[in-house]
Amino acid sequence: MKFASVSSKAKIGNNVTIKDFAVIEDDVEIGDNVEIGSNTFIGNGARIANGVKIFHGAVVSTVPQDLKYKGEPTTLEIGEGSVVREYATLNKGTTYNDKTVIGKNCLIMNYVHLAHDCIVGDNVIIANSVQFGGHVEIEDWAIIGGMVGVHQFVKIGQHSIVGFGFRVPKDVPPFITAGHDPLRFEGLNLVGLKRRGFSDEAIKSISGAYDVIYKSGLNVSDGIKKLREGNITKEVETIIKFIEGSTRGIIRGEK
Amino acid sequence: MKNVEIGSKAVIGNNFHAGSFTVIEDDVVIGDNVSVGNNVYIANGARIADGVKIYSSAQISIEPHDLGYKGEPTTCEIGEGTVIKELATLCRGTVGKNGSRSKSVVGKNCYIMNFSHVAHDNIIGDNVIMTNSANCGGHVVLGKHVNIGALTGIHQFVHVGDYCMVGTCIKVVKDVPPYIMVSREPSRFIGLNKVGLKRKGFSAEQIENISRAYDFIYGTEYNVSDAVEKIKSELELTEEVNNILNFISNSKRGIIR
Repeated sequence: MKFASVSSKAKIGNNVTIKDFAVIEDDVEIGDNVEIGSNTFIGNGARIANGVKIFHGAVVSTVPQDLKYKGEPTTLEIGEGSVVREYATLNKGTTYNDKTVIGKNCLIMNYVHLAHDCIVGDNVIIANSVQFGGHVEIEDWAIIGGMVGVHQFVKIGQHSIVGFGFRVPKDVPPFITAGHDPLRFEGLNLVGLKRRGFSDEAIKSISGAYDVIYKSGLNVSDGIKKLREGNITKEVETIIKFIEGSTRGIIRGEK
Repeated sequence: MKNVEIGSKAVIGNNFHAGSFTVIEDDVVIGDNVSVGNNVYIANGARIADGVKIYSSAQISIEPHDLGYKGEPTTCEIGEGTVIKELATLCRGTVGKNGSRSKSVVGKNCYIMNFSHVAHDNIIGDNVIMTNSANCGGHVVLGKHVNIGALTGIHQFVHVGDYCMVGTCIKVVKDVPPYIMVSREPSRFIGLNKVGLKRKGFSAEQIENISRAYDFIYGTEYNVSDAVEKIKSELELTEEVNNILNFISNSKRGIIR
Protein backbone atom coordinates (compact mmCIF):
# COMPACT_ATOMS: atom_id res chain seq x y z
CA MET A 1 0.00 0.00 0.00
CA LYS A 2 2.99 2.24 -0.57
CA PHE A 3 1.12 4.50 -3.00
CA ALA A 4 -2.40 4.22 -1.64
CA SER A 5 -4.05 7.47 -0.61
CA VAL A 6 -5.95 6.75 2.60
CA SER A 7 -7.60 9.53 4.59
CA SER A 8 -6.53 9.76 8.22
CA LYS A 9 -10.19 10.23 9.20
CA ALA A 10 -11.33 6.93 7.69
CA LYS A 11 -12.11 4.22 10.28
CA ILE A 12 -10.32 1.08 9.23
CA GLY A 13 -10.53 -2.27 11.07
CA ASN A 14 -7.87 -4.88 11.81
CA ASN A 15 -6.05 -6.94 9.22
CA VAL A 16 -7.21 -4.82 6.27
CA THR A 17 -5.18 -5.07 3.04
CA ILE A 18 -5.10 -1.97 0.88
CA LYS A 19 -3.21 -2.24 -2.41
CA ASP A 20 -1.39 0.48 -4.38
CA PHE A 21 -3.21 3.49 -5.85
CA ALA A 22 -6.38 2.83 -3.91
CA VAL A 23 -8.06 6.05 -2.74
CA ILE A 24 -10.06 6.05 0.49
CA GLU A 25 -11.92 9.23 1.47
CA ASP A 26 -12.76 10.68 4.90
CA ASP A 27 -16.22 9.42 5.81
CA VAL A 28 -15.50 5.72 5.34
CA GLU A 29 -15.86 2.80 7.75
CA ILE A 30 -14.16 -0.48 6.94
CA GLY A 31 -14.46 -3.63 9.10
CA ASP A 32 -11.91 -6.34 9.83
CA ASN A 33 -10.23 -8.67 7.34
CA VAL A 34 -11.24 -6.57 4.34
CA GLU A 35 -9.24 -6.62 1.08
CA ILE A 36 -9.17 -3.48 -1.04
CA GLY A 37 -7.63 -3.99 -4.52
CA SER A 38 -5.35 -1.66 -6.43
CA ASN A 39 -6.79 1.45 -8.14
CA THR A 40 -10.05 1.19 -6.25
CA PHE A 41 -11.94 4.27 -5.10
CA ILE A 42 -13.82 4.15 -1.79
CA GLY A 43 -15.79 7.38 -1.47
CA ASN A 44 -17.45 9.18 1.41
CA GLY A 45 -20.39 7.23 2.85
CA ALA A 46 -18.96 3.75 2.36
CA ARG A 47 -19.77 1.32 5.21
CA ILE A 48 -17.92 -1.89 4.50
CA ALA A 49 -18.48 -4.86 6.84
CA ASN A 50 -16.03 -7.59 7.87
CA GLY A 51 -14.50 -9.90 5.31
CA VAL A 52 -15.54 -7.96 2.21
CA LYS A 53 -13.27 -8.24 -0.85
CA ILE A 54 -13.07 -5.43 -3.37
CA PHE A 55 -11.07 -6.01 -6.55
CA HIS A 56 -9.00 -3.81 -8.87
CA GLY A 57 -10.55 -0.60 -10.16
CA ALA A 58 -13.92 -0.92 -8.44
CA VAL A 59 -15.60 2.37 -7.57
CA VAL A 60 -17.48 2.14 -4.29
CA SER A 61 -19.81 4.72 -2.77
CA THR A 62 -19.66 7.34 -5.42
CA VAL A 63 -22.08 10.17 -6.15
CA PRO A 64 -25.50 8.91 -7.32
CA GLN A 65 -26.37 9.37 -10.98
CA ASP A 66 -29.42 11.41 -10.15
CA LEU A 67 -29.80 15.02 -11.29
CA LYS A 68 -31.70 15.85 -8.06
CA TYR A 69 -28.78 14.86 -5.82
CA LYS A 70 -27.13 17.92 -4.30
CA GLY A 71 -24.40 16.36 -2.18
CA GLU A 72 -26.43 15.28 0.85
CA PRO A 73 -24.58 12.86 3.15
CA THR A 74 -25.86 9.39 2.25
CA THR A 75 -24.29 5.94 2.54
CA LEU A 76 -23.51 2.72 0.75
CA GLU A 77 -23.49 -0.39 2.95
CA ILE A 78 -21.82 -3.65 1.97
CA GLY A 79 -22.62 -6.70 4.14
CA GLU A 80 -20.22 -9.26 5.56
CA GLY A 81 -18.37 -11.51 3.16
CA SER A 82 -19.59 -9.86 -0.04
CA VAL A 83 -17.29 -9.68 -3.05
CA VAL A 84 -17.14 -6.76 -5.49
CA ARG A 85 -15.20 -7.57 -8.66
CA GLU A 86 -13.22 -5.39 -11.07
CA TYR A 87 -14.64 -2.07 -12.33
CA ALA A 88 -18.01 -2.44 -10.66
CA THR A 89 -19.47 0.95 -9.72
CA LEU A 90 -21.65 1.24 -6.66
CA ASN A 91 -23.53 4.49 -6.03
CA LYS A 92 -24.56 5.70 -2.62
CA GLY A 93 -28.17 6.64 -1.88
CA THR A 94 -30.09 9.85 -2.45
CA THR A 95 -32.43 11.47 0.07
CA TYR A 96 -35.15 9.08 -1.21
CA ASN A 97 -33.78 6.27 0.95
CA ASP A 98 -30.53 7.75 2.31
CA LYS A 99 -28.66 4.57 1.52
CA THR A 100 -27.84 1.88 -0.99
CA VAL A 101 -27.49 -1.56 0.60
CA ILE A 102 -25.79 -4.78 -0.41
CA GLY A 103 -26.46 -7.76 1.87
CA LYS A 104 -24.17 -10.50 3.12
CA ASN A 105 -22.22 -12.93 0.95
CA CYS A 106 -23.23 -11.34 -2.34
CA LEU A 107 -21.12 -11.62 -5.48
CA ILE A 108 -21.07 -8.52 -7.68
CA MET A 109 -19.14 -9.30 -10.87
CA ASN A 110 -17.16 -7.16 -13.36
CA TYR A 111 -18.62 -3.90 -14.70
CA VAL A 112 -21.83 -4.13 -12.71
CA HIS A 113 -23.48 -0.82 -11.94
CA LEU A 114 -25.55 -0.67 -8.77
CA ALA A 115 -27.48 2.58 -8.75
CA HIS A 116 -28.65 4.88 -5.96
CA ASP A 117 -31.08 3.55 -3.33
CA CYS A 118 -30.93 -0.06 -4.54
CA ILE A 119 -31.51 -2.68 -1.83
CA VAL A 120 -29.82 -6.01 -2.50
CA GLY A 121 -30.56 -8.93 -0.14
CA ASP A 122 -28.20 -11.65 1.08
CA ASN A 123 -26.50 -14.30 -1.09
CA VAL A 124 -27.40 -12.52 -4.31
CA ILE A 125 -25.30 -13.11 -7.45
CA ILE A 126 -25.11 -10.39 -10.06
CA ALA A 127 -23.22 -11.38 -13.23
CA ASN A 128 -21.05 -9.23 -15.50
CA SER A 129 -22.21 -5.87 -16.86
CA VAL A 130 -25.63 -5.91 -15.22
CA GLN A 131 -26.94 -2.35 -15.03
CA PHE A 132 -29.46 -1.31 -12.43
CA GLY A 133 -31.65 1.74 -12.45
CA GLY A 134 -32.23 3.54 -9.17
CA HIS A 135 -34.42 2.19 -6.32
CA VAL A 136 -34.28 -1.43 -7.48
CA GLU A 137 -34.90 -4.12 -4.83
CA ILE A 138 -33.39 -7.59 -5.13
CA GLU A 139 -34.43 -10.16 -2.51
CA ASP A 140 -32.27 -12.92 -1.00
CA TRP A 141 -30.75 -15.65 -3.21
CA ALA A 142 -31.77 -14.04 -6.50
CA ILE A 143 -29.42 -14.44 -9.47
CA ILE A 144 -29.19 -11.92 -12.30
CA GLY A 145 -27.59 -13.12 -15.57
CA GLY A 146 -24.93 -11.16 -17.43
CA MET A 147 -25.70 -8.04 -19.50
CA VAL A 148 -29.15 -7.62 -18.00
CA GLY A 149 -30.66 -4.13 -17.71
CA VAL A 150 -33.02 -3.57 -14.79
CA HIS A 151 -35.46 -0.66 -15.00
CA GLN A 152 -35.65 1.74 -12.08
CA PHE A 153 -38.04 0.83 -9.20
CA VAL A 154 -38.21 -2.83 -10.26
CA LYS A 155 -38.35 -5.59 -7.59
CA ILE A 156 -36.93 -9.06 -8.08
CA GLY A 157 -38.24 -11.75 -5.71
CA GLN A 158 -36.26 -14.21 -3.62
CA HIS A 159 -34.72 -17.30 -5.28
CA SER A 160 -35.57 -16.05 -8.77
CA ILE A 161 -33.25 -16.10 -11.78
CA VAL A 162 -33.23 -13.62 -14.65
CA GLY A 163 -31.62 -15.03 -17.81
CA PHE A 164 -28.66 -13.59 -19.70
CA GLY A 165 -29.04 -10.44 -21.77
CA PHE A 166 -32.66 -9.52 -21.05
CA ARG A 167 -34.21 -6.32 -19.85
CA VAL A 168 -36.36 -6.27 -16.78
CA PRO A 169 -39.09 -3.62 -17.05
CA LYS A 170 -41.52 -5.17 -14.51
CA ASP A 171 -41.34 -6.99 -11.19
CA VAL A 172 -40.17 -10.61 -11.18
CA PRO A 173 -42.03 -12.61 -8.51
CA PRO A 174 -40.14 -15.05 -6.24
CA PHE A 175 -38.96 -18.64 -6.94
CA ILE A 176 -39.07 -18.46 -10.77
CA THR A 177 -36.88 -18.19 -13.84
CA ALA A 178 -37.54 -15.29 -16.20
CA GLY A 179 -36.37 -14.90 -19.79
CA HIS A 180 -37.31 -13.82 -23.33
CA ASP A 181 -38.01 -10.40 -24.71
CA PRO A 182 -40.35 -8.99 -23.49
CA LEU A 183 -39.43 -10.68 -20.23
CA ARG A 184 -41.81 -13.45 -19.14
CA PHE A 185 -42.28 -16.32 -16.70
CA GLU A 186 -40.48 -19.45 -17.85
CA GLY A 187 -41.08 -21.88 -14.98
CA LEU A 188 -39.80 -22.38 -11.46
CA ASN A 189 -36.16 -22.12 -10.45
CA LEU A 190 -36.28 -25.82 -9.57
CA VAL A 191 -32.52 -26.37 -9.42
CA GLY A 192 -32.03 -23.40 -7.11
CA LEU A 193 -34.94 -24.36 -4.84
CA LYS A 194 -33.70 -27.95 -4.48
CA ARG A 195 -30.14 -26.83 -3.78
CA ARG A 196 -31.41 -24.59 -0.98
CA GLY A 197 -33.36 -27.42 0.65
CA PHE A 198 -36.97 -26.66 -0.33
CA SER A 199 -39.10 -29.78 0.24
CA ASP A 200 -41.02 -31.41 -2.60
CA GLU A 201 -44.26 -30.22 -0.99
CA ALA A 202 -43.07 -26.63 -0.83
CA ILE A 203 -42.07 -26.77 -4.50
CA LYS A 204 -45.43 -28.33 -5.37
CA SER A 205 -47.30 -25.52 -3.62
CA ILE A 206 -45.22 -22.90 -5.45
CA SER A 207 -45.88 -24.65 -8.74
CA GLY A 208 -49.60 -24.76 -8.01
CA ALA A 209 -49.67 -21.07 -7.18
CA TYR A 210 -47.97 -20.09 -10.45
CA ASP A 211 -50.33 -22.38 -12.39
CA VAL A 212 -53.14 -20.22 -11.04
CA ILE A 213 -51.37 -16.95 -11.75
CA TYR A 214 -49.94 -17.67 -15.18
CA LYS A 215 -51.81 -20.65 -16.67
CA SER A 216 -55.43 -20.50 -15.48
CA GLY A 217 -56.52 -17.66 -17.77
CA LEU A 218 -57.36 -15.48 -14.78
CA ASN A 219 -55.89 -12.01 -14.54
CA VAL A 220 -53.43 -11.39 -11.71
CA SER A 221 -55.86 -9.94 -9.16
CA ASP A 222 -58.43 -12.71 -9.75
CA GLY A 223 -55.57 -15.22 -9.51
CA ILE A 224 -54.61 -13.85 -6.11
CA LYS A 225 -58.24 -14.11 -4.93
CA LYS A 226 -58.30 -17.74 -5.99
CA LEU A 227 -54.99 -18.43 -4.20
CA ARG A 228 -56.41 -16.94 -1.02
CA GLU A 229 -59.28 -19.43 -1.16
CA GLY A 230 -56.93 -22.43 -1.25
CA ASN A 231 -54.25 -23.80 1.08
CA ILE A 232 -51.78 -21.00 1.85
CA THR A 233 -48.31 -22.34 2.63
CA LYS A 234 -45.42 -20.11 3.70
CA GLU A 235 -44.15 -19.97 0.13
CA VAL A 236 -47.56 -19.11 -1.33
CA GLU A 237 -47.93 -16.37 1.26
CA THR A 238 -44.57 -15.00 0.08
CA ILE A 239 -45.77 -14.99 -3.53
CA ILE A 240 -49.07 -13.29 -2.64
CA LYS A 241 -47.36 -10.63 -0.57
CA PHE A 242 -44.85 -9.93 -3.33
CA ILE A 243 -47.52 -9.52 -5.98
CA GLU A 244 -49.73 -7.37 -3.76
CA GLY A 245 -46.76 -5.17 -2.93
CA SER A 246 -45.75 -4.79 -6.57
CA THR A 247 -46.15 -1.23 -7.83
CA ARG A 248 -44.97 -1.79 -11.41
CA GLY A 249 -46.95 -5.02 -11.93
CA ILE A 250 -45.39 -8.43 -12.49
CA ILE A 251 -43.98 -9.90 -15.70
CA ARG A 252 -46.34 -11.86 -17.93
CA GLY A 253 -46.78 -15.62 -18.31
CA GLU A 254 -45.68 -17.94 -21.09
CA LYS A 255 -47.08 -17.38 -24.55
CA MET B 1 -3.48 17.56 -5.47
CA LYS B 2 -1.19 14.66 -4.67
CA ASN B 3 0.40 12.30 -7.20
CA VAL B 4 -1.14 14.06 -10.20
CA GLU B 5 0.86 14.17 -13.41
CA ILE B 6 0.06 17.23 -15.55
CA GLY B 7 1.85 17.86 -18.88
CA SER B 8 3.94 21.02 -18.80
CA LYS B 9 2.20 22.43 -21.91
CA ALA B 10 -1.35 21.71 -20.78
CA VAL B 11 -3.49 24.87 -20.42
CA ILE B 12 -5.55 24.68 -17.26
CA GLY B 13 -8.12 27.24 -16.00
CA ASN B 14 -8.80 28.55 -12.51
CA ASN B 15 -10.19 26.58 -9.62
CA PHE B 16 -9.14 23.23 -11.05
CA HIS B 17 -9.01 20.11 -8.92
CA ALA B 18 -7.80 16.61 -9.76
CA GLY B 19 -7.75 13.49 -7.59
CA SER B 20 -4.77 11.22 -7.06
CA PHE B 21 -3.07 9.31 -9.88
CA THR B 22 -4.70 11.33 -12.61
CA VAL B 23 -2.65 11.84 -15.77
CA ILE B 24 -3.11 14.87 -18.04
CA GLU B 25 -1.08 15.06 -21.27
CA ASP B 26 0.45 18.10 -23.00
CA ASP B 27 -2.04 19.05 -25.73
CA VAL B 28 -4.94 19.57 -23.35
CA VAL B 29 -7.05 22.68 -22.70
CA ILE B 30 -9.18 22.77 -19.56
CA GLY B 31 -11.54 25.65 -18.60
CA ASP B 32 -12.41 27.08 -15.19
CA ASN B 33 -14.07 25.24 -12.28
CA VAL B 34 -13.36 21.80 -13.67
CA SER B 35 -13.06 18.90 -11.27
CA VAL B 36 -11.47 15.61 -12.17
CA GLY B 37 -11.54 12.42 -10.07
CA ASN B 38 -8.90 9.82 -9.29
CA ASN B 39 -7.12 7.69 -11.86
CA VAL B 40 -8.52 9.74 -14.73
CA TYR B 41 -6.60 9.83 -18.03
CA ILE B 42 -6.96 12.98 -20.13
CA ALA B 43 -5.06 12.45 -23.35
CA ASN B 44 -3.77 14.82 -26.04
CA GLY B 45 -6.55 16.61 -27.92
CA ALA B 46 -8.93 17.07 -24.99
CA ARG B 47 -10.74 20.44 -24.98
CA ILE B 48 -12.71 20.64 -21.79
CA ALA B 49 -15.01 23.65 -21.20
CA ASP B 50 -15.90 25.37 -17.91
CA GLY B 51 -17.68 23.52 -15.12
CA VAL B 52 -17.16 20.01 -16.44
CA LYS B 53 -17.02 17.20 -13.85
CA ILE B 54 -15.15 14.01 -14.56
CA TYR B 55 -15.29 11.09 -12.13
CA SER B 56 -12.85 8.29 -11.26
CA SER B 57 -11.12 6.28 -13.94
CA ALA B 58 -12.84 7.96 -16.88
CA GLN B 59 -10.68 8.28 -20.00
CA ILE B 60 -11.00 11.36 -22.16
CA SER B 61 -9.75 11.90 -25.71
CA ILE B 62 -8.20 8.46 -26.04
CA GLU B 63 -7.01 7.16 -29.39
CA PRO B 64 -9.89 6.31 -31.68
CA HIS B 65 -10.82 2.65 -31.98
CA ASP B 66 -10.15 2.78 -35.68
CA LEU B 67 -7.52 0.77 -37.54
CA GLY B 68 -7.01 3.65 -40.01
CA TYR B 69 -5.88 6.08 -37.30
CA LYS B 70 -2.15 6.76 -37.43
CA GLY B 71 -1.71 9.25 -34.62
CA GLU B 72 -2.90 12.41 -36.41
CA PRO B 73 -3.64 15.34 -34.05
CA THR B 74 -7.41 15.41 -33.54
CA THR B 75 -9.58 16.61 -30.66
CA CYS B 76 -12.31 15.63 -28.26
CA GLU B 77 -14.44 18.60 -27.14
CA ILE B 78 -16.59 18.56 -24.03
CA GLY B 79 -19.16 21.33 -23.53
CA GLU B 80 -19.86 23.42 -20.44
CA GLY B 81 -21.40 21.77 -17.40
CA THR B 82 -21.23 18.23 -18.73
CA VAL B 83 -20.77 15.38 -16.24
CA ILE B 84 -18.76 12.29 -17.14
CA LYS B 85 -19.09 9.42 -14.70
CA GLU B 86 -16.78 6.59 -13.75
CA LEU B 87 -14.97 4.51 -16.35
CA ALA B 88 -16.64 6.19 -19.31
CA THR B 89 -14.37 6.32 -22.38
CA LEU B 90 -14.42 9.14 -24.92
CA CYS B 91 -12.40 8.86 -28.16
CA ARG B 92 -11.07 11.74 -30.19
CA GLY B 93 -11.75 12.13 -33.94
CA THR B 94 -10.10 10.66 -37.01
CA VAL B 95 -8.96 12.30 -40.28
CA GLY B 96 -8.97 11.48 -43.96
CA LYS B 97 -11.86 9.05 -44.11
CA ASN B 98 -15.43 9.25 -45.28
CA GLY B 99 -17.22 10.66 -42.25
CA SER B 100 -14.09 11.91 -40.49
CA ARG B 101 -14.59 15.12 -38.56
CA SER B 102 -11.14 15.28 -36.93
CA LYS B 103 -13.00 15.72 -33.66
CA SER B 104 -15.56 14.18 -31.36
CA VAL B 105 -17.91 16.60 -29.65
CA VAL B 106 -19.97 16.26 -26.49
CA GLY B 107 -22.38 19.19 -26.02
CA LYS B 108 -23.30 21.24 -22.98
CA ASN B 109 -24.91 19.86 -19.81
CA CYS B 110 -24.72 16.26 -20.96
CA TYR B 111 -24.68 13.39 -18.49
CA ILE B 112 -22.49 10.51 -19.63
CA MET B 113 -22.93 7.69 -17.13
CA ASN B 114 -20.70 4.80 -16.07
CA PHE B 115 -19.02 2.66 -18.75
CA SER B 116 -20.55 4.64 -21.59
CA HIS B 117 -18.48 4.91 -24.74
CA VAL B 118 -18.37 7.91 -27.06
CA ALA B 119 -16.55 6.80 -30.20
CA HIS B 120 -14.45 8.68 -32.76
CA ASP B 121 -16.12 11.47 -34.77
CA ASN B 122 -19.30 11.39 -32.67
CA ILE B 123 -21.36 14.57 -32.35
CA ILE B 124 -23.39 14.50 -29.16
CA GLY B 125 -25.87 17.38 -28.79
CA ASP B 126 -26.62 19.46 -25.70
CA ASN B 127 -28.44 17.99 -22.67
CA VAL B 128 -28.00 14.41 -23.81
CA ILE B 129 -28.18 11.63 -21.22
CA MET B 130 -26.27 8.44 -21.97
CA THR B 131 -27.15 5.83 -19.34
CA ASN B 132 -24.76 3.16 -18.10
CA SER B 133 -22.92 1.12 -20.72
CA ALA B 134 -24.54 2.94 -23.64
CA ASN B 135 -22.12 2.42 -26.50
CA CYS B 136 -21.87 4.51 -29.66
CA GLY B 137 -20.11 3.38 -32.82
CA GLY B 138 -18.00 5.80 -34.85
CA HIS B 139 -19.51 8.85 -36.63
CA VAL B 140 -22.74 8.65 -34.64
CA VAL B 141 -24.75 11.87 -34.25
CA LEU B 142 -27.12 12.35 -31.31
CA GLY B 143 -29.43 15.39 -31.36
CA LYS B 144 -30.14 17.60 -28.37
CA HIS B 145 -32.07 16.26 -25.33
CA VAL B 146 -31.63 12.66 -26.46
CA ASN B 147 -31.82 9.97 -23.78
CA ILE B 148 -30.09 6.62 -24.44
CA GLY B 149 -31.03 3.66 -22.20
CA ALA B 150 -28.57 1.42 -20.41
CA LEU B 151 -26.67 -1.29 -22.32
CA THR B 152 -27.90 0.03 -25.66
CA GLY B 153 -25.62 -0.09 -28.68
CA ILE B 154 -25.79 2.50 -31.46
CA HIS B 155 -24.44 1.31 -34.83
CA GLN B 156 -21.79 3.40 -36.53
CA PHE B 157 -23.02 6.31 -38.72
CA VAL B 158 -26.48 6.27 -37.13
CA HIS B 159 -28.19 9.61 -36.47
CA VAL B 160 -30.65 10.03 -33.60
CA GLY B 161 -32.97 13.06 -33.81
CA ASP B 162 -33.64 15.68 -31.13
CA TYR B 163 -35.73 14.76 -28.04
CA CYS B 164 -35.64 11.00 -28.69
CA MET B 165 -35.79 8.39 -25.97
CA VAL B 166 -33.93 5.22 -26.91
CA GLY B 167 -34.81 2.16 -24.79
CA THR B 168 -32.71 -0.12 -22.62
CA CYS B 169 -30.78 -3.14 -23.92
CA ILE B 170 -31.49 -2.61 -27.61
CA LYS B 171 -29.44 -2.15 -30.72
CA VAL B 172 -30.08 0.78 -33.00
CA VAL B 173 -28.97 0.11 -36.58
CA LYS B 174 -31.00 2.71 -38.46
CA ASP B 175 -31.63 6.42 -38.01
CA VAL B 176 -34.14 7.48 -35.36
CA PRO B 177 -36.25 10.50 -36.36
CA PRO B 178 -36.84 13.22 -33.75
CA TYR B 179 -39.33 13.33 -30.83
CA ILE B 180 -39.98 9.59 -30.56
CA MET B 181 -39.35 6.58 -28.33
CA VAL B 182 -37.61 3.49 -29.67
CA SER B 183 -37.48 0.02 -28.17
CA ARG B 184 -37.99 -3.71 -28.87
CA GLU B 185 -36.03 -6.13 -30.99
CA PRO B 186 -35.53 -5.27 -33.82
CA SER B 187 -35.72 -1.71 -32.59
CA ARG B 188 -38.80 0.17 -33.73
CA PHE B 189 -41.05 3.17 -33.16
CA ILE B 190 -43.15 2.74 -30.01
CA GLY B 191 -44.71 6.19 -29.76
CA LEU B 192 -43.84 9.80 -29.13
CA ASN B 193 -41.58 10.79 -26.24
CA LYS B 194 -44.56 12.62 -24.75
CA VAL B 195 -43.26 12.89 -21.20
CA GLY B 196 -39.96 14.30 -22.45
CA LEU B 197 -41.65 16.76 -24.79
CA LYS B 198 -44.01 18.04 -22.07
CA ARG B 199 -41.12 18.46 -19.66
CA LYS B 200 -39.22 20.45 -22.25
CA GLY B 201 -42.20 22.81 -22.66
CA PHE B 202 -43.76 21.64 -25.91
CA SER B 203 -47.42 22.73 -26.11
CA ALA B 204 -50.25 20.24 -26.60
CA GLU B 205 -50.71 21.64 -30.09
CA GLN B 206 -47.08 21.06 -31.06
CA ILE B 207 -47.25 17.51 -29.76
CA GLU B 208 -50.48 16.96 -31.71
CA ASN B 209 -48.75 18.11 -34.92
CA ILE B 210 -45.84 15.75 -34.32
CA SER B 211 -48.27 12.94 -33.57
CA ARG B 212 -50.16 13.53 -36.84
CA ALA B 213 -46.94 13.44 -38.85
CA TYR B 214 -45.91 10.13 -37.28
CA ASP B 215 -49.39 8.73 -37.89
CA PHE B 216 -48.63 9.06 -41.59
CA ILE B 217 -45.15 7.57 -41.27
CA TYR B 218 -45.82 4.67 -38.93
CA GLY B 219 -49.60 4.38 -38.58
CA THR B 220 -50.54 3.79 -42.22
CA GLU B 221 -49.69 1.45 -45.07
CA TYR B 222 -47.64 4.14 -46.85
CA ASN B 223 -43.92 3.58 -47.33
CA VAL B 224 -41.72 6.37 -45.98
CA SER B 225 -41.42 8.42 -49.17
CA ASP B 226 -45.17 8.27 -49.82
CA ALA B 227 -45.85 9.22 -46.21
CA VAL B 228 -43.54 12.23 -46.59
CA GLU B 229 -45.50 13.33 -49.70
CA LYS B 230 -48.77 12.91 -47.79
CA ILE B 231 -47.45 14.97 -44.87
CA LYS B 232 -46.36 17.73 -47.23
CA SER B 233 -49.76 17.84 -48.91
CA GLU B 234 -52.04 17.37 -45.91
CA LEU B 235 -50.38 18.80 -42.81
CA GLU B 236 -49.44 22.29 -41.76
CA LEU B 237 -45.65 22.43 -42.03
CA THR B 238 -44.82 23.68 -38.55
CA GLU B 239 -41.26 23.84 -37.29
CA GLU B 240 -41.49 20.40 -35.70
CA VAL B 241 -42.98 18.78 -38.81
CA ASN B 242 -40.26 20.37 -40.92
CA ASN B 243 -37.64 19.01 -38.55
CA ILE B 244 -39.03 15.53 -39.04
CA LEU B 245 -39.13 15.90 -42.84
CA ASN B 246 -35.60 17.31 -42.98
CA PHE B 247 -34.31 14.52 -40.79
CA ILE B 248 -35.87 11.90 -43.03
CA SER B 249 -34.61 13.48 -46.24
CA ASN B 250 -31.07 13.70 -44.82
CA SER B 251 -31.08 10.13 -43.54
CA LYS B 252 -28.58 7.95 -45.37
CA ARG B 253 -29.17 4.71 -43.48
CA GLY B 254 -32.99 4.96 -43.62
CA ILE B 255 -35.18 5.35 -40.57
CA ILE B 256 -36.32 2.66 -38.15
CA ARG B 257 -39.60 0.88 -38.76
